[in-house]
Amino acid sequence: MIPDELYYTPEHEWIRVDSRGEDDGAVVTIGITDFAQDALGDIVYVSLPEPGETLAQGASVGELESTKSVSDLYAPLAGSVLARNEQLDQAPELVNSDPYGEGWLLRIELESETGLSDLLDAQGYQAQVAS
Amino acid sequence: MSEPSNEQTLRRSPLHDRHRVLGAKTAPFGGWEMPLEYAGGGVLKEHAAVRESVGVFDVSHLGTLRVHGPGARSHVDSCLTNALDRINPGQAQYTLACDDEVGGVVDDMIVYLVSDDDLLLVPNAANAAEVARRLRADAPAGVEVVDLHEEQAILAVQGPACDEVLAAVGLPVGHPYMSFEQAELGGAPVVVCRTGYTGERGYELVLPGTSAPELWDRLLEVGARHGIRACGLGARDTLRTEMGYPLHGHELSLDISPVMARTVWAVGWDKPAFWGRDVLVAERAAKAGPLLRGLKAAGRGIPRPGMRVGPGDGTEPVGTVTSGTFSPTLRTGVGLALLDRSVVDGDEVVVEMRGRREAFTVTKPPFVQTAIR
Repeated sequence: MIPDELYYTPEHEWIRVDSRGEDDGAVVTIGITDFAQDALGDIVYVSLPEPGETLAQGASVGELESTKSVSDLYAPLAGSVLARNEQLDQAPELVNSDPYGEGWLLRIELESETGLSDLLDAQGYQAQVAS
Repeated sequence: MSEPSNEQTLRRSPLHDRHRVLGAKTAPFGGWEMPLEYAGGGVLKEHAAVRESVGVFDVSHLGTLRVHGPGARSHVDSCLTNALDRINPGQAQYTLACDDEVGGVVDDMIVYLVSDDDLLLVPNAANAAEVARRLRADAPAGVEVVDLHEEQAILAVQGPACDEVLAAVGLPVGHPYMSFEQAELGGAPVVVCRTGYTGERGYELVLPGTSAPELWDRLLEVGARHGIRACGLGARDTLRTEMGYPLHGHELSLDISPVMARTVWAVGWDKPAFWGRDVLVAERAAKAGPLLRGLKAAGRGIPRPGMRVGPGDGTEPVGTVTSGTFSPTLRTGVGLALLDRSVVDGDEVVVEMRGRREAFTVTKPPFVQTAIR
């Protein structure tokens, strides 16, 4: 399950562009892919940065912990956190059951839109998962 | 991401095809490719099935050794730690094989006492051959150690509805905890033992691998009305960790003696001989060295093996986590750790995890009430 309209990273994160920047920067929502949630197994704890925090591209900004292991969440692009999915504090399993919807992780205002063109499209991500 | 499997060298259970059909994610375990969790299940659902109703595990990676011949019982009793005079034929016992020189644990296992001349041992996957080798090396004339690892399958049916499921497939039920019955199913011998590694009432079934697929299918079929789930080693680990049960390679090893792991209840101290006796008697008397204790999260931290445990005031570490997971029942982190003797139950400690320090309370396991009887 790899929705066409999203961007992806090799680290199995998805990025949805919510609004293109005009006066302000573009706003994106990020999460982890269906492939990633399946590989992690039951997610029991999600640690996310708080609104207002600045994220450097590629930096480890949070953790997804499953019954068996813990994985880093990497910032796919530079920006600042507008919102974190607070529902996950009580219901981390939403990342498993609805990774592209209710299981979203962060809403980020990008520093610049230029990084978007470096991300994978659905086809590119599909190729990576299949390899 | 799951670990890459090496299909050339990993051994497979007689139920491997069944696991594939059920969409199991597999992982290498003690040299065997075994199911970690099943499609449509997952650790949390499989764990809950065992605590609330019933689950079935394929644990055929566990070894099966038969020790038989005149004096088989005395031979095993003179090697393994626990005292076989504590049980009678038809009963099983948890025991340890220690190294004679260092006292560390070569393996822990269940011994089934069939008769004075016939015992069945169920050691861990990775250590079965070594246990067999050591028992053979010391065996008196006439006592034979037969490694049945490849031929036998072991299924564990665990959870409050286990009796109904076993009775429905025609196996004997209701015998006391840690005792076994020898039954027959479709012409195949099945040892039905009231044992387990989950903290729930349950049975472990030892039978020829060739008969295992049919029994597996029947258990799932008759268990459907109880919501039975095929359960993988992921849930087996969360279930045993909630009980504080040791796992060889984590809480027991050549470097971790039964004194440290506090499994001294499985040592027959009055016996004249067992492997490691002299060094263990001395270690027990010295009252030094770390001890295994439980840790329960005060916050949201989940301990993992190898993490350092500190006293909370930022001074020298007091120990190391040996096992840890998220407890599906308590919805919090729990673990086991080897800690300095100065640390006692009720103490507050911190576990250093990935650049932060999470608070834990030293807690005597089980973390979740047992219901094994």
